[in-house]
Amino acid sequence: MALLASLLALRRDARILKIPPYLSAFCILVGIAWLLVLPLNEYSRKTYVSENALLPGQVHTYFDGSEHNVFRAYRHEVHGLIDQPVKERSQRLEAIFREQNLKFATQKYNYTVSNRTIANENVYAILQGPRADATEAIVLIGAWKNMADEVNNSGVALVLTLARYFKRWSLWSKDIIFLVSGDSTSGPQAWVDAYHDGHDERFVESLKIKSGALQGAVAVDYPAGPWGHRYDKLHVVYDGVNGQLPNLDLFNTAVQIASGQLGIGCVIQRMWTHDDSYKERLQTMLRGMISQGLGHATGPHSSFIPYHVDAVTLVTVGDGWHDEMSLGKTVESLFRSLNNLLEHLHQSFFFYLLLQANRFVSIGTYLPSAMLIAVSFSIASIALWVKSGRPDEPVANPGSTQPGSKVTSKAASVDDNKTTEEKEDFNEKKHTKTPSTKVISDGKDIAIVPAALTTISERHLFFPLLFVLTTHFAGLIPLFLFNHWDEDELPGLYLTAANVTSIVPMGFAFIFYHTRPLKQQEVALIQCFSLLLLGMFLAALATLNFSLSFLVGVVTTPLAFVRRTNHMGLDLAQLAFLAVLNPLMVIQLGTKLLGGDLAEVLIKAAQGWHIWGLWTQVVVWLVWLPAWSVGSVVIASGVFY
Amino acid sequence: MPVDMQQKALLFGAAVALRLGLFTLFPALPALLAGRVEVSTPVTSFKRLQEGVFLYTHNVSPYDGGVYHQAPLLLPLFSLLPNPSYAPLATNLLYTVVDLLSANALAQISESGFATVTRLFTSSRKDLRWSSVAIAAGHARPSTSFLFNPFTVATCIARSTSALTNLFILTAIAKASQGASITFILAMAFASYLAMHPILLFPPLLVLLYDARTAKTRSSPDVWSFIITYSLGITAAIGALLSASAFLTGSWDFLAATYGVRLLLPDLTPNVGLWWYFFIEMFDSFREFFLGVFWLHAASYMPGLTIRLHKQPLFVACTLTGIFAVFTPYPSIADAALYLSLVPLFRHLFPLMRYTFLASASVLYTSFLGPAFYHLWVYAGSGNANFFYAITLVWSLGLSIIVGDSMYAALRDELDVERPELRGKEVSRI
Repeated sequence: MALLASLLALRRDARILKIPPYLSAFCILVGIAWLLVLPLNEYSRKTYVSENALLPGQVHTYFDGSEHNVFRAYRHEVHGLIDQPVKERSQRLEAIFREQNLKFATQKYNYTVSNRTIANENVYAILQGPRADATEAIVLIGAWKNMADEVNNSGVALVLTLARYFKRWSLWSKDIIFLVSGDSTSGPQAWVDAYHDGHDERFVESLKIKSGALQGAVAVDYPAGPWGHRYDKLHVVYDGVNGQLPNLDLFNTAVQIASGQLGIGCVIQRMWTHDDSYKERLQTMLRGMISQGLGHATGPHSSFIPYHVDAVTLVTVGDGWHDEMSLGKTVESLFRSLNNLLEHLHQSFFFYLLLQANRFVSIGTYLPSAMLIAVSFSIASIALWVKSGRPDEPVANPGSTQPGSKVTSKAASVDDNKTTEEKEDFNEKKHTKTPSTKVISDGKDIAIVPAALTTISERHLFFPLLFVLTTHFAGLIPLFLFNHWDEDELPGLYLTAANVTSIVPMGFAFIFYHTRPLKQQEVALIQCFSLLLLGMFLAALATLNFSLSFLVGVVTTPLAFVRRTNHMGLDLAQLAFLAVLNPLMVIQLGTKLLGGDLAEVLIKAAQGWHIWGLWTQVVVWLVWLPAWSVGSVVIASGVFY
Repeated sequence: MPVDMQQKALLFGAAVALRLGLFTLFPALPALLAGRVEVSTPVTSFKRLQEGVFLYTHNVSPYDGGVYHQAPLLLPLFSLLPNPSYAPLATNLLYTVVDLLSANALAQISESGFATVTRLFTSSRKDLRWSSVAIAAGHARPSTSFLFNPFTVATCIARSTSALTNLFILTAIAKASQGASITFILAMAFASYLAMHPILLFPPLLVLLYDARTAKTRSSPDVWSFIITYSLGITAAIGALLSASAFLTGSWDFLAATYGVRLLLPDLTPNVGLWWYFFIEMFDSFREFFLGVFWLHAASYMPGLTIRLHKQPLFVACTLTGIFAVFTPYPSIADAALYLSLVPLFRHLFPLMRYTFLASASVLYTSFLGPAFYHLWVYAGSGNANFFYAITLVWSLGLSIIVGDSMYAALRDELDVERPELRGKEVSRI
């Protein structure tokens, strides 16, 4: 307590109040620099398999020889189904599973999002493991269409071939589920929702047959046509919905089997060539962060991860000399490894950033950067809190001989024509050029101190709090609109929203100016609460989705530094700067830079909200936009001051 | 005060609209909140209550399943209501009314003025206070309010039975500060009957009642006969409630299933308190010893505070609810809501408090980080129990900072009255 008391005495020191802006700037700089050093060898580690049971690549693979002929036959069979209606396709797939003596079923799903209907069918079959008791299962997925909307001809054929091949083995100690989903995102989601009884029966049919708890899932994406295509590398996709990641052990096992056992190079995050330089590592990491931050589904595996089922997708890329059999062997070996598992994957990391297929940064190393950025907002907020407790009048050096500071006279002259009684009161205080002083005596010591330093003014919290909370709740409006309007009108809605949000700060400032001019203390408190909330949301978010928290944190950093100056030019400049950082502008610009189509992004976001359980919009509309709006209103109010 | 009444009606109407609006607009919300460990503990959960009611209406002892740990008299009350899974309106209305009554009791406490002026003590800052309506409605202060306090609203929506306990505690305080002896005894008995630990509020509230009776009748009753009369009264009232329960369930088994569970902590479901993690980690041989220690610690605040601050009994009662929110075995955010709604009564102490920002920031941070970490632990599977426990530690820290800081402020306020020459001087501990 004694220590605390002396620390508390420090806050009377005027110099202390000057530190926070520098401290928060320092936090942000360190936070960003922290991220930049991560790709260095000293801060990242080579990947390793933690789980002893997995034993990746320790088994001989037998998927070869005559299986190749079977595969080719299925490939032609699947090719013949491409132009068939969905129903006949499902029947034919079912017939194939029936021939293989597997239990099979079909699941229909029919979602309507933004007036667009997404309807298709999932076909799946269950291989009951000869040594299994139907308590655990692993899933092999071949989506009918991949993320690029190409027909996954060879991928589906491979799933069918492997189903036939796996059926002959007696060593499975887990059930294996073969799933041919209607598409790459909504189909697996419908299936995995229904598997865990988390589905809405109006849109998704319940599953007729089920097995045990899912231990892992692997999806293959190999869109080569009926005559095959030799590929160069495997692209391992691992991002789940909302930025959740599969256990690193599963990813490592996949990479180790593919590259170590079968000699297929592995790439991640669309970095087709990777020369292991600092720049490429950083680029991979940033791509990973953007993908994680957006939180969208990146493949058929994504839907499984929120259910705590670790999953990856193997995508074939490039032109090379690897054929379908080596992909089949990879999957075989991977399934043999998963088959060994004694318990759910838990040994390795769930939070990591990958720099290349065999290098990663763990959470302990990277989390501080997002936390530092979140903390910078909290520091700014604490500084504003302290500032709001001080009286508005300036503190001048009582020993100085210069009459009144510049700020005082300026503010007073601007204020002159205000009529409210309160303002006059305020003016009078400001017209006294020399700040009042007070004599303090402590025993023998006597000091003359500016009165402003010793008085503490009462904070009026109600209005600032109400304003900040209302702004945050107002975010529900765009959240609702963007998720429920027709897809044709979404771009128009976006444009309107961008315009409205750009004008709103000035509008609010104008209304406040005429009805209830914001006092200096209120301004400080509004910013204080807004930054406190922002810091808190970002800190909580950093534990759930590091990348999103980091990205939003970086884009909102200026909010911790803009202050109402009551100088029209300065405030206008700050406002213009903030207008560029309008979340809607940033999203539009970001989409353009990443080569996306805004309309498509909006539709995907609405789909994500209704089907995948995507939470990114909540962060954008309920955290980011309100924080930005509050900051802009505060600055805009200075323009009218 | 017609303006005040109008304001009150408006605010109560808004509170009703908010609650019924949440109930109707988000029909999945009550079930979601009822399943959250932060809101529903094994001894207050609505789901468990439904289980008890089901067994009760099917003529099975409600305690046979080992799930229901709440007071038996709740069963006939809730079995009268239509089944909440089909017709939730009656239950929702009941909980809304409970909240309104609590807010009304809180307004009565505030109107009595015992927060600043008691028989033996008049604060030098007594003019600094909020209107009773403001406190009851809660636009008084961040996170310290009642009707619009998010914690209270969450408790109401989750239909946790701690809402009823809170109502009886607030009513007991209100009646004590009005000097209404009989209703005080009844409310106190109900509160203790429902949740056991509120019995610890009896001594400070008895002091408060004594002060109030003295002010009302303008003559101080004899202390010893006063204590004996009311102690006998509360014993009789609780005895009657327990006998009625035994009559209702046909045996005394309910004692072990309700108070036994609260005392011995057999159900280690996580909650926002500090006990569950300790007792999960503990070797069984130490269990009895530490149960004793933990309970002794939680209970020991009552005599100390009552004696030291006997001049401000209302403050003691308020602080004890804060202690309950931290140190009882099954606390939930409902207990914190009760404490945080009582704190604004002591508006005059706020200028003396030093860590308000720190405390409110930590309570605010933990109310978001807690669910996030619980999600990581239980749903995402990427965290573990330590994540959530760390946050409950911070949550308890935030609450205990408010308790400790307000206690400092109350003592300082007393010191300013006793020795006016020290006013405004820095104090240091000797």
